[in-house]
Amino acid sequence: MTASVGRTSWPALGVVVAAAALAPLVFTDFFVSVILTKSLWLGVAAASLIFLSAYGGMVSLAQVGIYGVAGMTFANLVVADGGAAAAWSPWIATIAAIVVAVAVGLFFGVIAARSVGIYFLMITLAFSVLVYYFFSQVTQLSGFGGVNNPDLPSLVGQPGQDPAPLYYTTLVVAVLVFLGLRYVSRAPFGLALQGLRDEPARMRALGFNVTRHRILAFTLAAFIAAVAGVLSVWYNGRIAPGSINLAQTIDILIIAVIGGLYRLEGAWVGALTYALLDNYSREWTPTVGDVLGAERFNTILGVVFLIIVLLSPGGLVGLWERVRGLGGRGPGPPGEVAREPAPAEAAK
Amino acid sequence: MATAATSAERAEPILHLRGIGRRFGGVVAVSDVDLTVRAGERRAILGPNGAGKTTLFNLISGEYPPSTGTVELFGRDVTAAPARTRARMGLSRTFQTSRLFGGLSVEDNLYLAVLGVGDGHLRLVKTGADGELRDKARAMAEDVGLGDRLDVMVSELSHGEQRQLEVGMARVAQPKLMMLDEPAAGLSRAERVTLTETLLALDPSVTLILIEHDMDVALRVAEWVTMMHDGRVIVEGTPAEIRANETVHALYLGSHG
Repeated sequence: MTASVGRTSWPALGVVVAAAALAPLVFTDFFVSVILTKSLWLGVAAASLIFLSAYGGMVSLAQVGIYGVAGMTFANLVVADGGAAAAWSPWIATIAAIVVAVAVGLFFGVIAARSVGIYFLMITLAFSVLVYYFFSQVTQLSGFGGVNNPDLPSLVGQPGQDPAPLYYTTLVVAVLVFLGLRYVSRAPFGLALQGLRDEPARMRALGFNVTRHRILAFTLAAFIAAVAGVLSVWYNGRIAPGSINLAQTIDILIIAVIGGLYRLEGAWVGALTYALLDNYSREWTPTVGDVLGAERFNTILGVVFLIIVLLSPGGLVGLWERVRGLGGRGPGPPGEVAREPAPAEAAK
Repeated sequence: MATAATSAERAEPILHLRGIGRRFGGVVAVSDVDLTVRAGERRAILGPNGAGKTTLFNLISGEYPPSTGTVELFGRDVTAAPARTRARMGLSRTFQTSRLFGGLSVEDNLYLAVLGVGDGHLRLVKTGADGELRDKARAMAEDVGLGDRLDVMVSELSHGEQRQLEVGMARVAQPKLMMLDEPAAGLSRAERVTLTETLLALDPSVTLILIEHDMDVALRVAEWVTMMHDGRVIVEGTPAEIRANETVHALYLGSHG
């Protein structure tokens, strides 16, 4: 039987979380920060995309725009170099940033929810571009060269000196996001979301308000993206228009696709793969005459992306399932019911 | 239609179409159809492919609005009401090609069908209410012969099982009016016999409208038949009258030998 998008392997999750909790004892501060912490918050951002895609059948490029709104709002509300520097308490600023980003997400959702497929993709891409240009041009909010050194909650300490507190904070948030989205996928809201992913016409015929459901799913994903946006500022210690540009939008999409668009776990698998490649591919890239060299490490990223997409439409998680023989027919988009044409000969 | 003195004839009309029509661009799919269906009636709608039967279903269920005419359901004008409103009033339907949630289990599919007519579509947490809804879903799975397939993903079901589930999806919310679009399509002879028995055993208070190409199923289940051709109603009558009708033979039965 095919593993559905709704099943979780609890022992596997326990092992991963336990290993992650021990990681700061084993790895260098550099690795804990630049690879692991970064993977965790990038994973949260990618999870907001995968949630919409896996359960709602909506591939959104707006997630970076929404996390940009959250990040910029946070950075402007606390003491920082550049921006509005409103000097709020970091926790109040965190809550306010999430509220603002969710409100923006709701507004975007109302506009985008009626469209599907390529049109939904283009509209959500426009949202991210719009947020990028807004902050690029309104330098009162984005500073010249970004908003730097924002005041952080004491919980995460000084990530530059000791990355462990921020790492553990991000780990807890990532686990909560994963478990929360998993739970919601089995609750009435999430099951109905999967229903409208598979057959919106059937959902209407059953009495569901499909458009309202899509809007609220988009808003829930905006909440997750907003959390990632605040974490990104805590991690980077700054935010600039350049950190929420089109390249970042594409990176989050690549992370989701590498990990696997059909399973939530894929978000973090993809993020870890991405962080490793992004950091080490410079060293791993062989020198081949004038064609390939350390300065062309992006080529490696691109080739790995291509190989994964070609090998497995379900990303690395899908590949893993296929290797283990979990997915009888291999991974792929759920919800494809075999259709037979209505037999015209049935009247005999 | 005066000849049939069935019990349905005296009951309240629950569906009333007046001069209903629908164009798709230059194509007239349904034109000027009047139709009255009474509570508890068993109605079959017959006609060759392209006669407008499924379009008529979509107009009744609210999949899209009519170009002309009005739809009255349970005594209320629902011409402008969306499909979900009509569903929550007690209308359920199936689709000619199964429209099931392939990425969910059999039980989850039926659960959504019960949830649809109730409240709490947006609940982010499970509550005790879901237990009752799941009991109904499991009982219906049993009823349509899928009791041992509860946890199977619907995309893994055979065609026959999907058609059984399709009927279960329409029945589980206890509708007052049930519309089945070719429920026997693609079924084996044995499966059709089972389906016919299921339909004959339905609660007599439930009104049934059936589109069906299989005459054995349609004429056994129906007590009144509406015959469509080129988007119009051409003949109405009892199954016996329809069998004997020359026009019907020429248009429909004859074309299939």
